[in-house]
Amino acid sequence: MFIALHPSSGVPLYLQLLNQLKERIASGQVKPGEQLPSVRELSADLKINPLTVAKVYQILEREGLVETRRGMGTFVAQKVETLPVAARRQALDPAVRQLVAEAIHLRLSEAEVVELIARHFQQLHPRNSSNQP
Amino acid sequence: MNDTAISIRDVTRSYGKTPVLDRLDLTVKAGSIYGFLGRNGSGKTTTIKLLAGLGRPESGEIAVLGRDPWAFTAEDRQGVGYLSEKQNLPPLMKVRSLLAFCSRLYPQWDRELCEGLISRFQVPVNKRVSALSMGNQRLVGIILALAPRPAVVLLDEPAANLDPVARREFLDEVLDLIREGERTVFFSTHILSDVERVADEVGILAQGKLRVSESLDSLKETVKRVRFYGFPGNAPEPPPQAFGWRVRNGEALGTLKLAHPGEPAALAAAWKCQYEIIDLSLEDIFVDIARN
Repeated sequence: MFIALHPSSGVPLYLQLLNQLKERIASGQVKPGEQLPSVRELSADLKINPLTVAKVYQILEREGLVETRRGMGTFVAQKVETLPVAARRQALDPAVRQLVAEAIHLRLSEAEVVELIARHFQQLHPRNSSNQP
Repeated sequence: MNDTAISIRDVTRSYGKTPVLDRLDLTVKAGSIYGFLGRNGSGKTTTIKLLAGLGRPESGEIAVLGRDPWAFTAEDRQGVGYLSEKQNLPPLMKVRSLLAFCSRLYPQWDRELCEGLISRFQVPVNKRVSALSMGNQRLVGIILALAPRPAVVLLDEPAANLDPVARREFLDEVLDLIREGERTVFFSTHILSDVERVADEVGILAQGKLRVSESLDSLKETVKRVRFYGFPGNAPEPPPQAFGWRVRNGEALGTLKLAHPGEPAALAAAWKCQYEIIDLSLEDIFVDIARN
């Protein structure tokens, strides 16, 4: 799995890995039921501390994106169990705030930003983009 | 195995009248890679020497793998690898002979690992130590520290003098070691990008005390630079959790240790101003903490 990490960024390493794995799962690059590399394999591959990978897998499991089958490994969850709406909104809030701040600097209108977001939904998640809650 | 590999409690140590460590407390969990940071003269080398049993604190207690390093038996020493800051290898000895000599001192010496390290680090083993570059001498020291497969490895500035390729090989080796299981690596360095790549815990030593000792992730998540602007009046005094605080043109720039993510918003609300949060690299955090 090719993942680009930047250890010297202000964003913690585990968060960089978490965000990239989430994007791959959301966009279907890694499909439901597909096995993820083991903690050992991925940490050796990315040349990072295995504890970092283990932490990311724990978070993904807690959020219901992957499931660990004993003695078999970590798999992308079949049915994505979702957190309560409030928690999901809160998780997205900082990223949206930054996006809006950037849009204001670039003098883009709210409508233009919404249009851009819709386009990304279309690209990453074409099936459900129109009528999601 | 015990959960704590290294424990330092209330340790004081001075050289003559100069205090170096001032009631230092430090704990390292077994199985972690601990990056030990501090400016020159902050007491890193003194701490590592105490951990290796090469000195005794004036007061306080030290335990490595549950034992007092000063009272280490020969058997205890097998479990602790040490690379000193100013290593002193016999200059006229050929590297191959030096390794053979040391291998006989350690019953657990891993010949296969030793050969693997030689080829990974590309050390010219048929040369005399004095004919090696500083970097290659360092790599020999690292091989000597790792080949007996110690449970705890103490490395004082291992990456000094290594070129970027050798440094990367060394870091990968440290990660391989940890991946094999119950091993603890404690290393000091000024190369913060190395710490960011491999360490899970970091400690910052300043004025003889540990200013910070926590996971690198939580450090990056909780220490933020925050810019406050648009105050109705003068900029306020720094809050107590600020490591640094500068005021210019009616704006305030502070490095804050956040108790919770909502803290900047709460401060801004209290001051009736706006704010912006800036992520910091470990180097930014280190400079702000060590300078204070």
